[in-house]
Amino acid sequence: MDLRPAEVTSILKKEIESYQGDTSMQSVGTVLSVGDGVARVYGLEDCMMNELLEFSGGVRGVALNLEEDNVGCVLLGSATEVSEGDEVRATGRIISVPTGDSLLGRVVNALGDPLDGRGPLGVGDDDFLPIEQPAPSVVERQPVTEPLQTGIKAIDAMIPIGRGQRELIIGDRQTGKTALIIDSIISQKTTGGGDPSNPEQVLCIYVAVAQKQSTVVDLVRRLEAAGAMTYTIVVTASAIDEASMQYLSCYAGATMGERFRDEGRHVVIFYDDLYKQALAYRQVMLLLRRPPGREAFPGDVFNLHSRLLERAAKLADNAPQINPRYKAGGGSMTALPVVETQEGDVSAYIPTNVISITDGQIFLEANLFNSGVRPAVNAGISVSRVGGAAQIPAMKKSAGGLRINLAQYRELQAFAQFGSDLDKATQATLTRGEKLVEILKQGQYAPVPVEEQVMMIHAGTSGSLDEVPTVRVGEFERAFLAHMRDAQPEVGQGILESGLLSDEAKATVQEAVGAVRAQLGM
Amino acid sequence: MIVDAVTARYAEALYQLASERGVLESVRSGVEQIAGEIAEDSVAAFLFDARVPATEKRSRLERLGETLHPLLQNFVGLVFDKHREEVLRGLGAAFRERYLAGKGAVEGRVESARPLAQADIASLAGNIGRRLSREVLLTNEIDAELVGGVRVLVDNRLVDHSVRGRLAGMKKRLKSAGVPNA
Repeated sequence: MDLRPAEVTSILKKEIESYQGDTSMQSVGTVLSVGDGVARVYGLEDCMMNELLEFSGGVRGVALNLEEDNVGCVLLGSATEVSEGDEVRATGRIISVPTGDSLLGRVVNALGDPLDGRGPLGVGDDDFLPIEQPAPSVVERQPVTEPLQTGIKAIDAMIPIGRGQRELIIGDRQTGKTALIIDSIISQKTTGGGDPSNPEQVLCIYVAVAQKQSTVVDLVRRLEAAGAMTYTIVVTASAIDEASMQYLSCYAGATMGERFRDEGRHVVIFYDDLYKQALAYRQVMLLLRRPPGREAFPGDVFNLHSRLLERAAKLADNAPQINPRYKAGGGSMTALPVVETQEGDVSAYIPTNVISITDGQIFLEANLFNSGVRPAVNAGISVSRVGGAAQIPAMKKSAGGLRINLAQYRELQAFAQFGSDLDKATQATLTRGEKLVEILKQGQYAPVPVEEQVMMIHAGTSGSLDEVPTVRVGEFERAFLAHMRDAQPEVGQGILESGLLSDEAKATVQEAVGAVRAQLGM
Repeated sequence: MIVDAVTARYAEALYQLASERGVLESVRSGVEQIAGEIAEDSVAAFLFDARVPATEKRSRLERLGETLHPLLQNFVGLVFDKHREEVLRGLGAAFRERYLAGKGAVEGRVESARPLAQADIASLAGNIGRRLSREVLLTNEIDAELVGGVRVLVDNRLVDHSVRGRLAGMKKRLKSAGVPNA
């Protein structure tokens, strides 16, 4: 984008004009002390909580502690540019971030400043919204009814997520949490063809908290390569940024998502991850001398996450009549927070907090991951409390058998190691379980559309794959789905349109299974 | 002038007591006397040196205070009893601020590139005083870097009408203005 001289002059003219009579009275203060990313300021008598402050070096800060004779604030920039005795000005506005369509496809920091080198955002003053906003009230919401397809078989079948739900992704490091997120984002392309102006398109927001910058770059590349960046906003406060930015980034992302939600769009937001956000918050709060509680976290660390996740919601259709803040009803914001555990300990402080706030959790297990079950979803302790209502009927029916079969398989798995003297029924359960585990395996960056998931899971639970060698299930799946796409596209279409797997379609699927098996010689 | 919370409380107590007893003026002159003494480097060095025993500091200050109002003598005694000698450092400013506030006045300063005429300062003070609903006492300070215009600082409030401030504001707004999409 080139700078056109006339336009710059027009801005100049506007700026110069608006300077007439611009002599408002500002509240000012003096820096008493500064260090470790926090400053104490004398003065600023009418300062508001969360107000944006401006230091003389151009650094910005946020007022967090309003005390009798000073204001404690966190710096949102380098502390080296601020020194004792500097003048601080209150801006009179709560910290806010830009929102709207122009952010889609962009990488921004916690304040909404672009980081991708693609120029300014082109947002107006009205597009700035405060990062802390109240969540929709009870009457402004409605129960979760629409599915959010992640494109991951194990999740869509057994731990379904609905639009407006909050589902925790939890697991140790290196268990595929971020990979799961990337696949989910790519999968949203099926909703509106990747065109952000299509009202059906589910928009994605990825908030990277204290991630390595290389990880974020890699993620953005992956999304670009998959054509998924057009409907995605990446908010990043990387490991090098101030702790204050890291903790605020989640709220900034939520505000960007809420703008779309309130306009009747569907948004899914990923917070990666909330454990690191809690650590950043702890650091800031200890430096501001708030009293430490359990594990030295401040007393409001639960509220830190609950008020954030409460902003995920499915709005009522008549929400605009109840509250003029909403431009349209029926929008949703789904939150998928991530919490990293240490050594699989889900009973630690932050994980239990977030588990209790969310509507279920997807537990990723290192053992499964290392034994080749990827995505390493532990179906036993993963749950979704509200998503079942949002599942399409065809999937609900096929997947019902899946859960039971897998549970029986896990129970018997221990016996299988003792030898071959097993009765027929046990043998059959074990074989079925093996195939199903194999079916739920999935490659990275390859989300599966829901209709194909239904067909494949139906093939598995109906027992048609029991004779296929376990190692060849993947090969069969590829051939089978290709066959269904090319030769019988009407089956997939039917599932998508009616949401049901008719008896007719079942027969077609069985036939196709037979044909593909014969073709592959299984 | 930065007044810390502790000093402000001591000054407030002293002010209230003095005004209740109707001895505000004599206490004020006494406070000014102490502040004047402490402003001298030799006294400050002595008074705030941790190596000097408290009893010695106290006896010296009490000797000085013999001519002061009894209320102020008590005050000095109390400050030493509570190990708050530091309060004396900011007492002059804190008491003066409280004294002026009691009269509905506030001190401030006006910075300008060139010295201002008394009449201009008075009209500025009058204007700002009306907005703050208080009498404003302004002192003129010269800061050539302002280039032109004035900058008025009263009670942690700033009215920046200097050329430097307006240029800085314009620079910021120009930088943040979005360029229309080509």
